[in-house]
Amino acid sequence: MARAMWKGQLQIGKQQLGIKLYSAVEDRTIRFHLLHAKDQAPVEQHIIRKDTGDEVAKDDMRKALALSAQTAVVLQPDDLEKLVPPESRDIEITRFIARDVLGDQWFERPYYLGPDGDNGSYFALAAALARKDVIGIARWVMRKKRYVGALSAVDGFLTLTTLRRADQVLSFSGIEPAKSVAPQASELKLAQQLVSSIEADFDPSLWQNEYRQRLCKLIEAKARGEKIKAVPAKKKRAPASLEESLRASLAAVKEKKVA
Amino acid sequence: MPSRKRGHGADAPAQEAGARVRPLWTGTITFGLVSIPVELVTAVRPRQTAMKLVDKSGHALGREYHCSKDDKKLSQDELVRGYETDSGKMVVITDEEFASVAPEMSGDIELRNFVPIEQIPPIYFDRPYFLAPAGKSTKAYHLLTATMEKAGRVGIGSFVMRGHEYLVAIVADNGVLRADTLRYADEIRTPETMGLPKHGKPTASQVTQFVKIIDDLTRSELDLTELEDQEARTLEKLAQTKQKEDEDVIHRQGLEQAEGDEGGAKVIDLMAVLRKSLSKTAVVKTAGDSAPISLDERRAARGAPKRKTRKSSGKRKASR
Repeated sequence: MARAMWKGQLQIGKQQLGIKLYSAVEDRTIRFHLLHAKDQAPVEQHIIRKDTGDEVAKDDMRKALALSAQTAVVLQPDDLEKLVPPESRDIEITRFIARDVLGDQWFERPYYLGPDGDNGSYFALAAALARKDVIGIARWVMRKKRYVGALSAVDGFLTLTTLRRADQVLSFSGIEPAKSVAPQASELKLAQQLVSSIEADFDPSLWQNEYRQRLCKLIEAKARGEKIKAVPAKKKRAPASLEESLRASLAAVKEKKVA
Repeated sequence: MPSRKRGHGADAPAQEAGARVRPLWTGTITFGLVSIPVELVTAVRPRQTAMKLVDKSGHALGREYHCSKDDKKLSQDELVRGYETDSGKMVVITDEEFASVAPEMSGDIELRNFVPIEQIPPIYFDRPYFLAPAGKSTKAYHLLTATMEKAGRVGIGSFVMRGHEYLVAIVADNGVLRADTLRYADEIRTPETMGLPKHGKPTASQVTQFVKIIDDLTRSELDLTELEDQEARTLEKLAQTKQKEDEDVIHRQGLEQAEGDEGGAKVIDLMAVLRKSLSKTAVVKTAGDSAPISLDERRAARGAPKRKTRKSSGKRKASR
């Protein structure tokens, strides 16, 4: 059973709800140590002055905010302290919006919320969010940092996903392809047929990280002292005209369905 | 994985001068037998709270690796990666071996199926990247974009970049393709594995009470000031005050070379890259410069209303 990493209070209008916060992500990254190739000794990281190469002690390191390429303001420890937001356990919900107002590029890190005492209200809120098909915009301070997030219901449970900031997300308007490359009606029709021929429901269990699995096997084999064999080269495809490729693809899909 | 960054550090000065931006990945999207050459660049900028590492008097600092045995300074070429097994044994994996477990997959993103975007729970989304067309002809690129936007579907596939295999949703948004990396199912915890209590049955009156509260607080738009980076604003103000009082202000050659406090992410001129590769008329901006996000606009931009109403609106000419 996972341990809650934080406890807080959802503040929705005049309503309060105690919750526990759990990471929704299980880190499965395979981590490596950096070693010196020659003697396989672990490496140490040193912080040095770029101009002289002299090592700098931790106490002498500062952070600087760049104002231009060659001008910066150095922040002293008491400056950094001023930047820490006031502590609070409140997760304030500022508004609810339809679920698809926010594009997925805003979502950063997901957390599950669990009830802290009042199970009835917890599941009632999740049910209400699902019924209205909305997400809540949340703000809170956790571990000395400010967060903005989206409160939503997933399979009857509450999740809180941190959001990226307005300055980080890039957006476009007005991409109009030049006439010469705008798709023809016939091509659009074929492409649509092709897309609908491989339409499916989202099923994440169909996808495994094969690379990670192979890397694990490689590590295990090497740990046992086995020899590793060489690998085949990549395959290449011959280019064809767009319409030809679409027709051939559709034919291939149909053939598969018959078989 | 530092050794993968080798090529990166080498052309850093060129990047900062804005001369040439190297995409993070170059490859081909394939669906059926159609292939679309693309370049992948990040779609999110680092937060503006990212700072440089300096010493007390403002000299730029950097990182160096030293051997723990003989304290010799090591270049990237002298480093290898080792995996420590549970029994404490160190297994060295060479660059060639890393490459050997990622054959074939590295050059392609094969779209194996198309799914409705609303079926992917937000907790799956990890990092967004833009895909810019890279081939001589951008025709197939525009075709895939238009087709997916009309159908309200996203393509699902996987690819290998810098030693990791990524599951991605290829999303068409406003005429541009994005590759949004997704977490794998085994990276997502479930309420059961976390030990959350079983679904309680909330009483109808409790649900109604929350529905009422939600209705009161529901708005049709999201005001982007709510997503503003307050920490960055506070930091900016502090820096301005210090600059005015001429306190701790430093001017120094080579300052831009200093290591960043968050792994030293390089700020590249994304806008320029995308503008160049897509269309001269394209406007690229950060969300911070835009009007509030409204649902109607997003739906209109997609050109595809919700699935329920797609049939009835099918006769209308698509907005783009």
